[in-house]
Amino acid sequence: MFRKGLLPLAVVGALVMAGCSDSNSPSDTPSKSGKVVVGFSVYDMQYEFFQKMEKGTREAAVAKGWEFKLHDEKSDENEMVTGAQALIDQGVDVLIISPFKPSALGPIIAKAKAKGVPVIVDDIGGGGAPYDAIVISDNAGGGKLAADYMAKQIVANGKTSKNVASITCEPSAVYAARRNAGFKEAIEKQGFKVVAELSGNSKAEEGYKVMKDIMAKNPDVAGVFSCNDPMGVAAANAVKDAGKNPVTDIVTVGFNADPEALTAIKAGGLAATVAQDPNAMGALTVKLADQALKKETITFGNAAEREVFNPVLLVTKDNVATIK
Amino acid sequence: MKRSLGGLWDTWGITAILLLLLAVAPVLTPDFFSLDNAQSVLRESAYLGIVAAGMTFAIASGAFDLSVGGQLALCSVVSLMGFAAGGTVLAVAAALATGLACGLVNASLITRLAVPPFVATLGTLFVFRGVAYILTKDGPKTLPYDQIGSPFVKIGGLNVAGLPVPFLIMLAVYAAAWLLMRRTATGRRVLAYGSSPEAARFCGISPTRLRVFVFALVGVSVGIAALTYITRVWTADGSAQDGFELKVIAAVVLGGTSLKGGKGTLIGTFSAVLLVSVLNDMLVSEGVPSAYQRIVLGGVLIIALTIDGLRTRFAAPGSLRRAVTGLGGRTPKTGLAR
Repeated sequence: MFRKGLLPLAVVGALVMAGCSDSNSPSDTPSKSGKVVVGFSVYDMQYEFFQKMEKGTREAAVAKGWEFKLHDEKSDENEMVTGAQALIDQGVDVLIISPFKPSALGPIIAKAKAKGVPVIVDDIGGGGAPYDAIVISDNAGGGKLAADYMAKQIVANGKTSKNVASITCEPSAVYAARRNAGFKEAIEKQGFKVVAELSGNSKAEEGYKVMKDIMAKNPDVAGVFSCNDPMGVAAANAVKDAGKNPVTDIVTVGFNADPEALTAIKAGGLAATVAQDPNAMGALTVKLADQALKKETITFGNAAEREVFNPVLLVTKDNVATIK
Repeated sequence: MKRSLGGLWDTWGITAILLLLLAVAPVLTPDFFSLDNAQSVLRESAYLGIVAAGMTFAIASGAFDLSVGGQLALCSVVSLMGFAAGGTVLAVAAALATGLACGLVNASLITRLAVPPFVATLGTLFVFRGVAYILTKDGPKTLPYDQIGSPFVKIGGLNVAGLPVPFLIMLAVYAAAWLLMRRTATGRRVLAYGSSPEAARFCGISPTRLRVFVFALVGVSVGIAALTYITRVWTADGSAQDGFELKVIAAVVLGGTSLKGGKGTLIGTFSAVLLVSVLNDMLVSEGVPSAYQRIVLGGVLIIALTIDGLRTRFAAPGSLRRAVTGLGGRTPKTGLAR
């Protein structure tokens, strides 16, 4: 009867003993060839945004003569931890990660710290973990771009109303909230008033409803800024359904440069959006990784959270053809 | 006790395939047997393996528990809340108590309201996940980084004698489960009931008590698994481990436990869990795109069951003749097969 338990034990033994025999080659020393190895754990390669981010990261790493190792988290926090830790086990010199769940960065960074591997986070969030730097889009700057454009366009439309509205994402999206905050600050400097600031929870259908409510309560509203494009396009549709024009009557601006927004801008169904540049964000993470490896001082946009901002771009009918 | 080749395959077939895979693994993936990677594979196996042990009992008794994914999310969330409120002791107690409570809810629905297990646990899968979502509506529950020195956080990352603690917990669970299934009357009752509920009832086995036992056992196994899961991932919300129930059932079936009930092999389940983890690790480290990873894992499941199906047809007495002459024939189901 003892035989029954022996084979699995043998299997385990094989795994462990084979492991021990190899354990005298520690993976925390830089690779033998002297070539820097960078690991990039990406949120999910199904999405265009992250495909561009991967391309930007890979090309910048290759340009530096580094070896590039990719891991796809597949939108799964368990896979994120397993795969990112595996990259560290494989002896990468520096880890770049766009985390599916920022709150799961803890065990990854704990392991990286134990092996002396710097960690650069790309977008999404830092989850309160001691990463070396985090790259995020300049959300507040994007809100300001939207505000400055909107103010100019309202004047060009010949409107005298100084009332504008702002539609926010879900309250837990802290970085996205900076878009509305940046918008509010900049538009108020131009002498406008944000008469309504309501959440559409990032969803198109809620954005549509919120915009209808805003127009009902503030018939003279001259512009609306949405914190993402699904809500921006939905708000533009609400404007159209009310018999008005989302460019020349109520200046409607979104954020993200989603394909649907670009299509709408070309057709005059949306005034503007703000494009993030995941490709450049990827390249920026490699630059920061290089600085972290060389122990150079990193210049932060927000030193308290070790944030580095990547510039964003205003997209209107004038330049929409050049995007993508 | 006479043993047929087929009987050996039932218990050891998947283990043989696992050994074969381990033999070729270093060829395909040179650093597969590095200490770090081997530990990582074993650590990663634990939460799936522990629940699969519990599920082996459920399936051997002729029932599914489809709610284990919801249970895992809920146990993990409640345990993290317990840690925030009262540290390690409360975190462990909360996970186990939540698992037990989930199991008892399932058992009550099945025994008191006479809902079939498949439907009852399909319903509670959504309910448990829903509760986990409500508890985390302000964001996922997390182990804070400054608690890195706490014993609870260490469960997931620590090694003892080279073996990851989650895997040692899994070994202990399998040892206990094996003794329970093979060395106690309760274990024999589970198999007997799965083989033929009517016959078991005539022999004086109480279906109610048996169901309560089996589903509570699954719940507790999920509670233990949740401890190994969250101390590795540090975070959980309602979406944690979406689709987990099917991975668990796939591992149990791959191991050779019959979906018809009456037959359960913990050794098979154990090997199948390791097989899935090893395969997964190899595919990921070879950079196989995720879509193909899914196809390979699905293919392995189908091939294993096809081999099993062929084996069953040919191993039964006289089956070769029937297969050749095309007369077919049913394989007699052996109630207390190993």
